[in-house]
Amino acid sequence: MSSFHKIIVFVGYISLFHSAFSAAQHRSYLRITSQEFTTLPLDIVVQAVASLFAVMWGVLNIAGNLREIPAAAELNTLTWETQYNMPSFAIFNHRGKAVNQSKYVPSSGKAELENTEL
Amino acid sequence: MSGTTKSKDNKTEPIAYSEAALRNNAIVVEYCRTSMAALSGSTAGVLGLTGLNGFAFYVLSVITLWVMFMIKAGPNWHKYYVSRQSLLTNGFFGALFTYVLFWTFIYGMVHVY
Repeated sequence: MSSFHKIIVFVGYISLFHSAFSAAQHRSYLRITSQEFTTLPLDIVVQAVASLFAVMWGVLNIAGNLREIPAAAELNTLTWETQYNMPSFAIFNHRGKAVNQSKYVPSSGKAELENTEL
Repeated sequence: MSGTTKSKDNKTEPIAYSEAALRNNAIVVEYCRTSMAALSGSTAGVLGLTGLNGFAFYVLSVITLWVMFMIKAGPNWHKYYVSRQSLLTNGFFGALFTYVLFWTFIYGMVHVY
């Protein structure tokens, strides 16, 4: 969708440049035939104004997405999994191990802790 | 997420706005406005407008950009802009200088030389 608007901007720029070139040529034609300048031909005017509006619309869509300004708008989309992710409260060791001695396998210290895949 | 509270008038409930979103929207609007000033100035120069016609063309393009913003935001523009009037009038004279710069430059390129 954005590349479509980039094409609009590109074509609009070329069209605007072309109309500028046409206007310059019309002006030099009037100078050679020693006529007085009143207004540009209608097709150049229409092309210039139409390409201006096209480029404006394309730039408006390229510039970026508008975000919703109410403060709660983006907080509403957060999920519980995002909110509940609290690394400071992760549990690695539990005192229940001391109560249930029969199933407790004594660890070999820090080395095992580093090898454990969490 | 920092929030600022602003109230439309003193009587009603204050509305909390997300400051980051407000700033993001202001940047987008400013970008479009500067581009519009440069492009419409170039077009005015190509068309060979002089005097008050050129300023009328600037007002016309400002209003056109505003209408385009309204079309893009759709019926619930309240979600994106604080006020429609300030969207129309903010930075009017700042962009006017950019407009006049491009207007005179392109007019000189096309019609004088």
